[in-house]
Amino acid sequence: MSISRRKFLGWMGVAGAAASLGPESARAASTKEFTGHPDSYGVLHDITRCVGCRSCEEGCNTVNELPKTGAPYDDTSVLEKKRRVSNTEYTVVNKKVAEGGPVFWKNQCNHCLEPACASVCFVNAFEKKPNGAVVYDASVCVGCRYCMMACPFEIPTYEYDDAYTPEVVKCTLCAPRLEKGLLPGCVESCPTEALIFGKRDDLLKVARARIEKYPNRYVDHIYGEKEMGGTSWIYLSGVPFKEIGMREDLGNTAAPKLTSGALHVVPMVVSLWPLFLAGMYGMAKRRDKIAAEEKADAVAMAVEQAEKEAAKRLSLAMDKAKKEKEHLLKRVERAKAGGISSGATTSNAPTREEGSDE
Amino acid sequence: MKKPGFLLYWVGTIVLCIVGFYVTDIMAKNQGVSDKLPEKRADRIIIDNMLSFGPLEKASVEFLHDAHTTALAKKNISCEACHLREKEQFYPKFKRLEDTNREAVMNIYHDGCIACHGEMRKSGEKTGPIECDDCHLEQKKYSSSRLAMGFDNSLHARHVQAHEKKCETCHHEYDEKTKKLFYAKGKEGTCRYCHKEQQEENRQSMRVSSHIACINCHLKEQEKQKLKLPVSCAQCHDATERKKIKKLDPIPRLERNQPDMVMLKTGVEELDQLGKNRMNLVPFNHKAHEGYNDTCRVCHHQEMKKCNECHTLTGSEAGKGVNLELAMHKRDTDHSCVGCHAQQYEANFNCAGCHQFTPRTAKMSERSCAVCHIPLPENVKLDDTTAKLLLEARPEKPAEYAQEDIPEKIVIGKLAKKYEAVDFPHRKIVNSIVKRIGDNKLAAHFHGDKGVVCSGCHHNAPLTKQPSGCSSCHGPAFNDKDMHKPGIVGAYHLQCMECHTTMKIEKVGCQDCHKEKSPKPAPSAEKGNE
Repeated sequence: MSISRRKFLGWMGVAGAAASLGPESARAASTKEFTGHPDSYGVLHDITRCVGCRSCEEGCNTVNELPKTGAPYDDTSVLEKKRRVSNTEYTVVNKKVAEGGPVFWKNQCNHCLEPACASVCFVNAFEKKPNGAVVYDASVCVGCRYCMMACPFEIPTYEYDDAYTPEVVKCTLCAPRLEKGLLPGCVESCPTEALIFGKRDDLLKVARARIEKYPNRYVDHIYGEKEMGGTSWIYLSGVPFKEIGMREDLGNTAAPKLTSGALHVVPMVVSLWPLFLAGMYGMAKRRDKIAAEEKADAVAMAVEQAEKEAAKRLSLAMDKAKKEKEHLLKRVERAKAGGISSGATTSNAPTREEGSDE
Repeated sequence: MKKPGFLLYWVGTIVLCIVGFYVTDIMAKNQGVSDKLPEKRADRIIIDNMLSFGPLEKASVEFLHDAHTTALAKKNISCEACHLREKEQFYPKFKRLEDTNREAVMNIYHDGCIACHGEMRKSGEKTGPIECDDCHLEQKKYSSSRLAMGFDNSLHARHVQAHEKKCETCHHEYDEKTKKLFYAKGKEGTCRYCHKEQQEENRQSMRVSSHIACINCHLKEQEKQKLKLPVSCAQCHDATERKKIKKLDPIPRLERNQPDMVMLKTGVEELDQLGKNRMNLVPFNHKAHEGYNDTCRVCHHQEMKKCNECHTLTGSEAGKGVNLELAMHKRDTDHSCVGCHAQQYEANFNCAGCHQFTPRTAKMSERSCAVCHIPLPENVKLDDTTAKLLLEARPEKPAEYAQEDIPEKIVIGKLAKKYEAVDFPHRKIVNSIVKRIGDNKLAAHFHGDKGVVCSGCHHNAPLTKQPSGCSSCHGPAFNDKDMHKPGIVGAYHLQCMECHTTMKIEKVGCQDCHKEKSPKPAPSAEKGNE
């Protein structure tokens, strides 16, 4: 049995419609509020506790076996200039001189609950793990770097110095260490517990309790509780987050939600387009059929009329021939009685008379 | 060959470009002037009275009062040029006593200002603008550095002296029936009790009434006694000028029949007796607190009455539902005892090292309660004498353990990995904290029990000679079963470094406490007391 192209497209359309209308489908669920995987982990960064010692940078470098590219870790003069994460530094500490003295804060992947990087990746190279980590799979990455464009925190970086197999690079929340029951490298090496690791829900409770206990110490906001739909890294600060360069304009909607409306139209188009085309085809077909039927009727009527006319003409001709025959028979009888010679010269005369009769 | 017209066209274009660049450059530079911080002046007044008639048609006008008074004084022109008198007293509004209607008020300003500026211009003097947009500027030239005038106890005492205790010079009450002001002896309160921010019925606002009363009196006395009294804006409202106002030392006490030392009572008679109230009544040193505050208004914030008259035991409408307990213990106000005391240690960096760790939500300890609610001896009268006895029996200095009971040095080395063990100079730190408490009386009363000073670091430990050490509670690492408690490394760093930072002790670098480990690990360093 062979499947025509037309048939295949028809089946695809039906399948698409079923997928988008089915109540249990994954797409339908994504319009609901997603508040993170239950019991997922995160880190609370209490900026008021950070002393800018760069131990976290060193810890990150060691556990991830990264090359030592920058200044030695006991050199805090690098903090004078604003830095961002790079392909050899998954995390950096930045310093901001505020009114009450210098403020230090650590920057790394925030491990969004609904990551923008994952939502733009068309090969699914990024995955939000149930433990909280947003991990990257280099084996499927095509190097489009949409993730770098999509991330509101400017986190993913790229190995531009690798000509053949460059990869996107970012903090992994030490996912391989978490699986072994170890702490992320930065958290383990923080001497002041400016970083604590635990279940995100518990960390939120700790953060809220700190704000309540020390209202003079903290601004009344937990950064990352709601930003971009929530992040696994959450922050407390003594100065407004905007002042130390953390974006406060991101809103509380997760990045994928911003595009899901438009993208939901796609399966609609996939499922309805074949139906529409089939309908158009059916209508065209029906129109042709009706036209053909009408034509056949018209032909039949014409033929019938022609036949009737022909019959009429035939009967008239038959009558005429009959009369002529009778006439001729009479003449023949008269000629038999009068003589043969005169009969020959006058044979046309009755024809003319007959003609005037018609 | 090209036509000469073509050449002219190009020359013209280039010239236009150059001129254009210059013009925009100059405009940019002019804008640059307004980007600079505007000059700060205490006498800057924004004239926007027309707002009471609806939205302004043109921008409000910036007016420098002192600039006008000094310029006019040179020409021997007095306040009369601009201010009308009401009952012999200059009224603060410009050439009128009240804002009648939009048209009239606008005309008063336009006629008054422009006429004077115009005349001076005609006679060739330096003067102000007469064109609309030179006064009605969107972008103001100055910013205000005006500080509210603080009529503190020292200034009050000087006025008492100057007026020979004639309180009626300033203090008055209003009689609803006769609609007149009268003086009621012993009922004096602060101006703000009646004169509020805005005018209420026929009660002038604080701003209007104080300017009428102060300036008119100063002008009169100046003339009478040939004195120099403050009449310009800056003299009362400018920070530097105000420092020139003489402060009395010591400040004589205000006389208004207030007690020296008193038992604070509930106001419910059967409870205000010995043994009837479950909470010991508090003896209060009123005299001492007069010295701690600039004005009576800090505590007597609404009326010059006893606290319990409005803040009754169960709360009343007059006390806005704040009952006596709350009025005394509310944490986030400076009217209450606890609130004001907390502000003392919050504002003092010598206290910050320990007190920054006091949670706002912490329940006061029984011991803290007893510092004010002093246990009463048997068979005493609840009167001022008892109050005096109780207050004078309080400790004058924080209690300390004997030096030999305070460990001199503690070696912290259990967790030494990268660095050598730390020699923690325990006794030196204790002594330094006690030294910083100094002779602060508030601190002395609250640190009167032995071991209280220790509890700054040994928080949550019982007050004993040997309180539990850090590792009694803080485990070797952060424990996610008890997320509110740091591990030992976090605890050390948080406590030590934050204390050093807030108490302005410079040593906060790693090497200030930790010695870098020598290549040969010294096994003895691993053993520590902690």
